[in-house]
Amino acid sequence: MEKLLIVILQLGLFIVISPVLSGLITKIKNNIRMRRGQSVFQPYYNLVKLFSKDEVISDTASWIFKVTPIIVFSSTLTAALLVPVFIFSAPLHNMGDFLCLVFIFALGRFFLALAALDTASSFGGMGSSREMFISSLTEPVLCLVIFAVSFQAGSTDLSALGRMHVVSISSIIAALALFLVAIAETSRVPVDNQETHLELTMIHEAMVLEYSGRRLALIEMASYIKQMILFFLIAQIVFPIALPGFGSFTQILFWSLQYLARIAIIAIVIALVEVTVAKMRLFRVADFLGFGFVLGVIALVCAMLGV
Amino acid sequence: MQEFILLGVLVATYLMVIAKRVPALMKSFQYQSFFLSLMALSSGFIEKHADLYFIAFLIVVLKVFIIPRVLYRIAKKINVDENLGLFVNVQLSLVIALLLTYYSGTFAAILGFKHNFISLAITVAFSVIFIGGFLMISRMKAFAQVVGLLVMENGIFLFASSIYGGMPFFVEIAIFFDVFVSVIIMGLFVYRINKFFTHIDVGKLSRLKG
Amino acid sequence: MINILPKQLFLFDPLSFFFLFVILIVSLPSAIYSFGYLKGEYSPRKIILAQVLLIAFILSMVLVVTVGNVFVFLVFWEIMSLVSYFLVVFDTKHEKSVQAGMIYIVMTHIGTAFLVAAFMIMHKYANSFDFLAIKNACLIMPLETKNIIFLFLLIGFGTKAGIVPLHIWLPYAHPQAPSHISSIMSGVMIKTAVYGVIRFVIFMLGASSCWWGILVLFLAIVTCLVGIIYALMERDIKRLLAYSSVENIGIILLGVGLAMFFQSKNMPYLAVFSLIAGMYHLINHAIFKGLLFLCAGSVYKATETRDIEKLGGLIKNMPQTAVYCLVGAMAISALPPLNGFVSEWLTLQAFFLGVLNVSGGVKLFLGICASLLALTSGLAAACFVKAFGITFLGKPRSHHAKEAKEVPLSMQIGMIFLSILCIVFGLAAVKIINLLSKIAGCATGIDIAGMSFSFNNITLTAQMGNGIYLSAPLLMLSFVALGIIGFIVYRISARPKVVIYNTWDCGYYKLDSRNEYTATAFSKPFRIAFSFFLMPYRKTQKIRESFYHVKSFAYETHTTPIFKKYIYDPALNLVFKSAKFMKRIQPGSIHLYLSYIFVTTLLLIMFVKHF
Repeated sequence: MEKLLIVILQLGLFIVISPVLSGLITKIKNNIRMRRGQSVFQPYYNLVKLFSKDEVISDTASWIFKVTPIIVFSSTLTAALLVPVFIFSAPLHNMGDFLCLVFIFALGRFFLALAALDTASSFGGMGSSREMFISSLTEPVLCLVIFAVSFQAGSTDLSALGRMHVVSISSIIAALALFLVAIAETSRVPVDNQETHLELTMIHEAMVLEYSGRRLALIEMASYIKQMILFFLIAQIVFPIALPGFGSFTQILFWSLQYLARIAIIAIVIALVEVTVAKMRLFRVADFLGFGFVLGVIALVCAMLGV
Repeated sequence: MQEFILLGVLVATYLMVIAKRVPALMKSFQYQSFFLSLMALSSGFIEKHADLYFIAFLIVVLKVFIIPRVLYRIAKKINVDENLGLFVNVQLSLVIALLLTYYSGTFAAILGFKHNFISLAITVAFSVIFIGGFLMISRMKAFAQVVGLLVMENGIFLFASSIYGGMPFFVEIAIFFDVFVSVIIMGLFVYRINKFFTHIDVGKLSRLKG
Repeated sequence: MINILPKQLFLFDPLSFFFLFVILIVSLPSAIYSFGYLKGEYSPRKIILAQVLLIAFILSMVLVVTVGNVFVFLVFWEIMSLVSYFLVVFDTKHEKSVQAGMIYIVMTHIGTAFLVAAFMIMHKYANSFDFLAIKNACLIMPLETKNIIFLFLLIGFGTKAGIVPLHIWLPYAHPQAPSHISSIMSGVMIKTAVYGVIRFVIFMLGASSCWWGILVLFLAIVTCLVGIIYALMERDIKRLLAYSSVENIGIILLGVGLAMFFQSKNMPYLAVFSLIAGMYHLINHAIFKGLLFLCAGSVYKATETRDIEKLGGLIKNMPQTAVYCLVGAMAISALPPLNGFVSEWLTLQAFFLGVLNVSGGVKLFLGICASLLALTSGLAAACFVKAFGITFLGKPRSHHAKEAKEVPLSMQIGMIFLSILCIVFGLAAVKIINLLSKIAGCATGIDIAGMSFSFNNITLTAQMGNGIYLSAPLLMLSFVALGIIGFIVYRISARPKVVIYNTWDCGYYKLDSRNEYTATAFSKPFRIAFSFFLMPYRKTQKIRESFYHVKSFAYETHTTPIFKKYIYDPALNLVFKSAKFMKRIQPGSIHLYLSYIFVTTLLLIMFVKHF
């Protein structure tokens, strides 16, 4: 029974709070650019607007286009259930571990890429080609980060991550590598620009170009939740706080607040990076993620040395 | 007595080596076969085997008369130049033939036979075989190959008959028939080769290679 | 030669049963499929020949994995290779089939030569051809002999399995064979080579040195990467699948190599775990690769072409085939909750547990291997997005694709069966792993009584890891439940309607299939990223009408086949050069040949006294 409560609370947290994160990042970026910028709650207004708009679907599209948003949304939420937020063990930790998380993201990405090719538009093809390229290069980095962090924690289960409470050199380097991966996966500058729709520069946006209305709202929510999961993982590695067992209501409130505080710090760092760095050429992303790979190897070596 | 016959065989063989034209080769072959039949006769006389008389008669009929006639007829039909093309000139051929005879003599010594009639017979037999082989190698025309094969068969018969008094009768007959048929076939081949290539210079067949 | 005829012809231990199951589970759907496939393609007499050869092929493979005697094993191995050669060159009108068959038969015989050498050495020590007798003899063999036997067996079975650099026949032979044969060859025949490795190296030789496992791991990871990078570049759908088979054999051998490594380090739980991962991936690959080849065959039959650049939009005309192909593509890209995901997770988990528990610098090697495995899995997903997306989605790129019709039900039955198996093998992972643990225990000779691999009936766990769990049915359940929630969320917003209109065209009024993304363009980022390995080059040709007007422009881009160019072509040239050199003893002159005989006889006579 408490498990069910935790599941619902966690899902609610993710669905409700994740747009704010995106809004926070946009607000900080705009402030640094000396503008007032949109409100922090703007993503909510966008989602509400999208839900009430008509949809236009291409006549070339098949059932894959129509089904993809639901698959992406449900797979990202499943991934959210694997992450420990309130108590040290994730609500459904019997379901999978850190490696499983990577594959679940791959499921959403696979269908999104297929849906992009489904509409026979060049933007879609370009987007899915570049997205699969970048994601296949992030996979080895992710794997090394998982190995390095789990070596320290003792198992690949995210509950062990939740129980970690020491910072070591290897976890800092692993967090740096994970940071690079998070930039790539959430399509932030320097890998991709979420604010542009120029075909030369867009990757994730190109894949969802043909989506509109409610389906687009589902995909946007899924990308917010994925971003929040990745930020949480970085936060837990960099500022590890050992989460407790199940406790009272105030305890849950306290832990969710500290959780949000940690993620907010990561979001601020990301916003600063986005503003100060220019977007890279696509083929330099390979070097960027290669650097991440080297960082991952160093993290693994440090973890093995016990540093 | 038998030594003289063996000497006759050897001399006929040397005559074959120095032959430069086809009729000369044929004549020497006939002489060799004649002496061979005399050898068979004398062996038969000494060993008292009846079949050796029959074989001697066969040798005369086949190798002295029939086979040379067949070969002459084919030679006339294809109307070819009588010169046997020589790879190795006459003088050198003779030296090689002498060397081969010496070699077969040492071979007889290796086999363990001391100086007696049998070692002489082995010497002559093997030298006939080797010289037959040498003929096949060092003469260009296809005729030489045919005759060389016949000479080698002569040598084998000489070896067998001098050591053991002849091979079993049926083996002899079989070998004779084999030789006869193979001569016919080879004659046919030579005819065919000439018809196709308009020459029987085997050296010119060298384009058939891998 | 005394002991050829065996006392006990068959050896029915769990390992043989497992491979028998793998063979039958792929061959039966392919056989049912073949009736529909061959019907329009060849004359009735040729079809009968094809079916007879198919039965002979399946029978020979069944006998290869069940006999217990090395000599009989070799006989059936040869029969299997020969029958598959005849099936590869079945379409004798195409010159490419004949060339492919030639490459295949030469490579497989080189492998068989190494196998014969290894078996002869084993026979020398065991004085018998029986498996069990050889197994006992291997306990007393000296280490250098074991090393040599291991290397020969690796080369011999590696040629058949498709380990780099011996994989060169796979992309020639698999596309040219008829599709049901490709599915059996790719799904089952190359697995018999893995059977050979498990049987002869793990079961008989016993993994004695740790460098064996490391060598197999190294070769396997190189195979994975090379296979998938070449697969990404392909535009012929069956060649793409053939290269992908090379990659998956690499993944299977990663599991097997890890098992060998752990066994040599005396870590029984991990050895059994890795072997389970390897065997699970083996059967999964058989199922989904068989399925994918059957789908490729259906596409070929419907559209007469294997070139994906000429296809597209097939999901509208061939909806059922598209669903089966999607299941196969999802399975091979290791997406939850299908079977490919479970076996890749198991392999990665085996690597992680190795990193945790092994001591020394090997840990780093295992970690990097695991990350390269993750790289290949990402690349495989990209490859199959390309294959499925360009073939089935979008607008049709040619007249053939527009006119395609769905294949008849007789061909679909095989595909339905294999797709259902993909899903079942993903969800019922626990039951299968418990079965596989018994088989792995028998193969490695380890007692598995105290080991547990599952938490309850739906959750996998690794005993040595603390609390690592995976439950595919729970994942599926949560996907479905949350999907329903998403659907409800989608539906509750009333009123908005859905309009079907053209794809957004930036205001250009006539978008057609030429504006779509092509397969070559899809894989261009990979071509550039891996250009150090692929060495692409391009050829362009401009035809001008005048200085200002270019009439036509042709652009070709190729990747250099480096194995063919740098290893096999020089080797072949060497063979031909030495043959030409040897030709000099054959000038065609009869006199020379006669003199060879003559001189030899004379020389022999000279030495007669030594006899």
